[in-house]
Order: sequence, then structure tokens, then C-alpha cells
Amino acid sequence: MDRRKFLSLSVVAAAVVPASLSAIDFRATKPDTWTAHNVKDAIKALYGDVALVEEGVTVKAPKVASNGGAIPVTVKSDKAAKTVALFQDANPEATVAVFTVPEGGIVNYMMKIKMKASGKITAVVEGTDGKFYVGNISLEVALGGCEG
Amino acid sequence: MGNMKIKAKVKGDVVQVKVMAKHDMLTYDQAKKKGVDANFITHITAKANGKVVYDASTSQFWSKNPQFKFEFKGAAKGDKVEITWVDLKGNTVTESKKIK
Repeated sequence: MDRRKFLSLSVVAAAVVPASLSAIDFRATKPDTWTAHNVKDAIKALYGDVALVEEGVTVKAPKVASNGGAIPVTVKSDKAAKTVALFQDANPEATVAVFTVPEGGIVNYMMKIKMKASGKITAVVEGTDGKFYVGNISLEVALGGCEG
Repeated sequence: MGNMKIKAKVKGDVVQVKVMAKHDMLTYDQAKKKGVDANFITHITAKANGKVVYDASTSQFWSKNPQFKFEFKGAAKGDKVEITWVDLKGNTVTESKKIK
């Protein structure tokens, strides 16, 4: 009976653990990153006090976005990367996304994002060499996308 | 809600993947106005041949019905790419698509 009880308990425990999809869920491991109100604080919350090297990261976005609700942004880098993080300074919170780059992965990510107003998009690439590379782009948003 | 469109194509040794996920991506501000709970995709993972090829922790600032693209190596024509997302309320959707 005891054994049976033990077994059923372990089944319950296994069911409670959320299905973890990946190595790192940055929303769970770095919660402060997602509530930071400016890019500087967000980077600090995610990576700590790091020196940013301005090279090797390209951020592409339209100069003028007519619809702030869906702005295509592309982040590209030739650096061997561990993680990539995307920030902007127009919305109430700064962090847009954090990617874990699989070993040998290609950093070429496009996603459509929302921006409330004109601002600057910043991408940080954490290199496997331990350095942090940064790239950014400023754009104008004709119609803000956060009001829905 | 609850499905996505995936396109995966091999070019040389690189697989290019394009995805459109159907999701309202309600930000906290938008949700407040509508008097409902915020809900948005918080994590997206893609796998091919049992290996993670794309992994993103995402925020409310991805567009409604977010579209995204990425590239990876290590899969061939006929292999499958499997994409899973989770949203703030814990809904999970997984879809897979053969690489063309």
C-alpha cells in the first residue's frame, strides 16, 4: 500500500511540473528584464553590468512604419552567439524578446513587433566569446500600435 | 485562436522557416481597456530532428498574429520542423510541417 501510494504521488508530482520547452525560459529566470522600463535597465537585469561593443550586429526595420502594430524587425549577426535580446524604448516596458541561440545557430531573426511611438530598437548579442555586441536603429512610427 | 501557418524551405544547407501564429497578443494596456485579462505568447520553440533550432522568450510587444522568420542548419528536405508556443494563460499549441 505504501509503495502504491508513493507511486501515485510521484505521478501527480510529474504532472504538476510544467512542460519545459527549452533550456532557458528567460521570463522565468530573469523576471526583472520584462518589467524594466528602459533599455539600460533591461540589459542590466538580463546580463548584468556589461560593456557593450558596437559591432557585428545589424538591426533592420523600416525608417517610417505606417502601422505601429506590426513592424517587421530583423536582427542579424555573424558573431557566434549564445543569446540575442531585442529591446525598444517606445513602449511601457523595454524588452521585446530574448532568444537562446542553439550551438552553431544562425542569428537571422525576423519578427513583427508593436511600438507605441517613434523610438529606437536595440539588439544585444551575447557572443560565445563572452563579449556583448550591440546594434540599433531608430525609426518613426506614424500610427502607434499599442492602443489597439 | 490556436493554429499557425508554417512554411519551411531548404536553400543550400540552410532551412528557412516562416511562421504566422494566430494569437491576439493582448498587451496589459489593451486588455485593461477591454476589461479582459492580458494574454500573449510568452515562449516559442522550434525543433527539427529532435534538436532545438529556435528558442524565444517573447513579450506582449510582438504584433497581433505574430509573424516571425528564422534560419537553421542541420535538416534536409522531407524532415519535419515542429513549432510550439505557450501563452501567458498556459495554452500550448504545437504544429509541425515538412520541410520543402
